[in-house]
Amino acid sequence: MSDDEFMLYDSDEACGFSDDDEAALALEDDGGNSSGTARRSQAPQTQGEYSADVGLGYDDGDDYMDGGEFEPVLGARGQRKPWEVDFKVYGPAGLSAKQRAMVERLEPLLALPQETTTLLLRCYFWKEEPLLEGLLTDREGTLAKAGLTEHPPAPRIESGDDGFVCEICYCDGPDESFLALWCGHRFCSDCYRTYLAGKVQEGESWRIRCAAPKCRTLVGLEPARLLLADDADMLARYEENLTRSFVNDLATFAWCPAPNCEYAVECQVPRSAWATTIPTVQCQCGKAFCFGCKLDDHMPAPCSLVERWMQKCRDDSETSNWIKANTKECIKCKSTIEKNGGCNHMTCRECRHEFCWVCMGPWSEHGQSFYSCNRFDEDSSKNARDSVSKSRAMLERYLHYFTRYNNHEQSARLARKLLTATEKNMEQIQREHTLSWIEVQFLSGAVDVLSMCRATLKWSYVLGYYMVSDNQKIIFENNQSDLEMATEQLNELVENPISEDGPSIEEFKRIVIDKTTYVKTRWETILADIVAGLQENRWQFETE
Amino acid sequence: MALKRINKELKDLDRDPPSSCSAGPLGDDLFHWQATILGPEDSPYQGGVYFLAIHFPTDYPFKPPKINFTTKIYHPNINSNGSICLDILKDQWSPALTISKVLLSICSLLTDPNPDDPLVPEIAHIYKTDLRRYTDSAKEWNRKYAMS
Repeated sequence: MSDDEFMLYDSDEACGFSDDDEAALALEDDGGNSSGTARRSQAPQTQGEYSADVGLGYDDGDDYMDGGEFEPVLGARGQRKPWEVDFKVYGPAGLSAKQRAMVERLEPLLALPQETTTLLLRCYFWKEEPLLEGLLTDREGTLAKAGLTEHPPAPRIESGDDGFVCEICYCDGPDESFLALWCGHRFCSDCYRTYLAGKVQEGESWRIRCAAPKCRTLVGLEPARLLLADDADMLARYEENLTRSFVNDLATFAWCPAPNCEYAVECQVPRSAWATTIPTVQCQCGKAFCFGCKLDDHMPAPCSLVERWMQKCRDDSETSNWIKANTKECIKCKSTIEKNGGCNHMTCRECRHEFCWVCMGPWSEHGQSFYSCNRFDEDSSKNARDSVSKSRAMLERYLHYFTRYNNHEQSARLARKLLTATEKNMEQIQREHTLSWIEVQFLSGAVDVLSMCRATLKWSYVLGYYMVSDNQKIIFENNQSDLEMATEQLNELVENPISEDGPSIEEFKRIVIDKTTYVKTRWETILADIVAGLQENRWQFETE
Repeated sequence: MALKRINKELKDLDRDPPSSCSAGPLGDDLFHWQATILGPEDSPYQGGVYFLAIHFPTDYPFKPPKINFTTKIYHPNINSNGSICLDILKDQWSPALTISKVLLSICSLLTDPNPDDPLVPEIAHIYKTDLRRYTDSAKEWNRKYAMS
């Protein structure tokens, strides 16, 4: 995939582990932001540009120029890494600024009131081209189809007249107040309010139409605000639904899946490219996730493989572990047999085949040596075991990959604990060797690299499981084992940082920094290779 | 609100009953009605009498009533439980609709099935490919279940 298929933003700072970033983050941390490193620890992805309110959450709305994004704070030195995709994170205010910008861009072209323009855009899922095309060919028809009119009168709650009857509650007469949209269907304001509130509670917002049967007129923002003026909670919910629908309606936007996170991410990688590009994004809240399947970051395995793998794990892992540990298969009929007592002379309940539990050979050849099988290497026993092992090979293979996948997952979890321990260690080293805070940052840097390597290794086993064995796979596995070995070595280093008879602190620091750099290089190599392979279609995956 | 509106609908039905259907509460509970529809004349359901159960939600008319056939009927949009696939009973419901209007819509659904949005795909398929067979089956079910 070439870069020009993505929307390219000014610049992105690549994963931040270079010296510059260390310094920048360190300064930031000096200002009391202690969560900076923790957040960064899972940050192998692009640091996108964040909208201005990110992290603060207040909405003053006036600070936004040009869509409301900051220029990136860090320099444009780093090129985008091959496995990174461009994305932007938006906070609540950033989202409304983005909406406003999209509307304002079209407004002069359409010559329609702002609200009508907004509703039209919503009807067209914010796609400008089909909207413009529709308006140019059939302005009236396009508007009517959307349930809109060119210049709707300002909504008013009016007093009823003698002829007024609310078709919903049948109240009538001049004592009642009613509201009618431009389509002329009049309903008493109480009923309209209840109607609207019911729809809002169902999660609706702009799609709410006039209460009359089959009438397509959209209620719109102003009438809704007028009706719900006395119900602040409901109005807030209405506005919230509006924002939600903006993100839900746009294919290039997704909500951050973290609980209670209010941010949304924009990513331009099209659905069709998800097989070859893994659209990993990271929210301002720290959550790294896949824009495609919305699951946690699963670089470098593509969504389709991840889905298959997760399904397989749900189906298989526990059961197959037990089967492997506790059973053997009958050589003849392949029934799974658990030996729950008795001697080694087995008789299969299914096919009545008699065999030895120890060597798996036929019992008839055992002669008199019933209770001590010493025939492990004889041909018939060997053949029997071969046939069993063939049918088990599939299972073994799966378990091989699953165990490693699982190990890295658990180690990654431990790495989080390690981080806490490391922070203590850093304080201790600071005290004992009278070093400054910045001078001990190498340790947390190493832990950061560790956890991102763990995540990559974990998913690389999923990739390996589905990869067809060929020369390409050998290269892949070499890269994988290099990274794995280096990661384990670094892990060991970081876990026991200070010992009495060990190297001096300066020496130790040098070793750790060297190792960290090496591991990071290996990590970059494997990721770059995997991603290039995906895009060149170099990896062959087994199909089910 | 719901009760007042249901009472009003009941009065209107008494005063001005629609030609081919009737409806009213079964017992004392005004939220449970029974309705009858006479099979439309230009349909295979002609001569049959169909019973329907109507259940009003407490937030009626802001939520649609639940309507089910209790008489078995062979129709692409009505399944064996008597559930009806009709847009105005779901997302196209408007609080300004009434039971009377809904029953009339169901009548016209009997005359003109909507096989493109079927609840029973098998019947819809037969309706589209072999109208004769559909008519025969519908007539047979009508005779069997809706005439007594």
